Amino acid sequence: MGTTRLPRLFLLSCAVAFLVTLTASLPVGADARQVAKIKARLTPEHLGAATTVSLGFQLPPRDGVSPAALRSMKLAYPPNLGLATSGLGLASCSPGELEALGVEGCPANSRMGSGSATVELVLKVETVTEHISLALFAAPSSDGYLHVLVYAYGVFPVYAQLLLSGVLMHGQMGITVPPIPSFPEAPDVVMTQMQLTLGGPLTYYARSAGKLVAYHPPGVGLPRRCPTGGFPFRATFVFLDGGHASARTAVPCPGGA
Amino acid sequence: MTLKLITRTIMCRTLRWKEDVIQGSLPGSSNGIGRKMSQTASGSASIVAVALVGSTLLLAAAAGADTRRPVRSAPSAHAAGVLNVHDEGHLRFIHASGSVIIDEGSVSGTLPGSVRVRFLYDGEPQVSAQFTINGRGGSISAHATGRLSSLTSPSPSFSGHMTITGGSGRYAHVRGSGTLFGVYYRRSYGLTVQAIGKLPY
Repeated sequence: MGTTRLPRLFLLSCAVAFLVTLTASLPVGADARQVAKIKARLTPEHLGAATTVSLGFQLPPRDGVSPAALRSMKLAYPPNLGLATSGLGLASCSPGELEALGVEGCPANSRMGSGSATVELVLKVETVTEHISLALFAAPSSDGYLHVLVYAYGVFPVYAQLLLSGVLMHGQMGITVPPIPSFPEAPDVVMTQMQLTLGGPLTYYARSAGKLVAYHPPGVGLPRRCPTGGFPFRATFVFLDGGHASARTAVPCPGGA
Repeated sequence: MTLKLITRTIMCRTLRWKEDVIQGSLPGSSNGIGRKMSQTASGSASIVAVALVGSTLLLAAAAGADTRRPVRSAPSAHAAGVLNVHDEGHLRFIHASGSVIIDEGSVSGTLPGSVRVRFLYDGEPQVSAQFTINGRGGSISAHATGRLSSLTSPSPSFSGHMTITGGSGRYAHVRGSGTLFGVYYRRSYGLTVQAIGKLPY
């Protein structure tokens, strides 16, 4: 009896482990129509020190068809990452000023990061691709949570500025994506790639002895311990057509720690 | 016998505090931080500061009592009910681990001492702080949670409830609660904390 139970338990454990491994290796959104890929990077990656967090995602075409327009996304990060204590966003930028004046309309101390994105305009004859720049700002908060604004601006082929609003909540940044109109009678613009960096080469100003002194904010604080399997990141996407997709990744611990 | 002595000490001490507060001689009772706290109390949430102040007050109550004071002071203390007290500490950044910041500094007020604070701010509206004050007669530990306001300002403030969790030495049996106010300096990671405690007597 004892000799047969052990092999059965062993086989059962192997089967469960195989399923878990298979599930972990697949994109989370494999059951949905859309597939998503994400990348995360911490530069430099020294435990207990400040770092720059880069998050990127890609929504590749499926069977040659571009993805539907995004409605919202959630970018999850390790909750003990020092985003709130980063010293980034020592001022806030109002959405009105950002829309009216662009990046120059915001205080330097409200800048939290930058990035880039790729958008596609699917026409009958061709698909037009445009690369746009992103700027991340701290936004006013009335609910106790940290709010951010992602300002996207491009000039060709569609000259447009777009404002995305986001909020940091429960270890994730939720971003709402408004419809991106293109030409009359043409479909909305679709975002297919995005790369966002928190921190980086930012210049802030502080008053010292009556003078404004420039300095560089240190960035996002890393915990002193790296979790098993590395620092986990996950992204979830909701599309205007009701579809969804998600993906996850992990930044390995430094030195294999 | 020890318990009776401590109780009598607290009663006597609270009587002396009451006199000091009325005369406006207690530290922090009318300073700039106090004014800022009251102005920003609705929006700010610095928990650490509140915890420090409250614990300092309690520490002072328990440890700083004059045991030679006559016992006849006790009846009038019972009649007064609750005593409001203030205390303050200025803390400097030691190190951080992600969303946790460790600060240390001195606490001034009725009982001078050093304090070490573990301040947690992970982006949620609630912040928390665990701290230990070391005085001449022992230590007092406390925990506080509160709400942060003016998030995108260089020095948001906070306020919240503080609970004494334990102590050592002369304060081994200290228990109590209060309110902690504070300011978190986002650039230097330093903290200024102020405790406002209500000590029943």
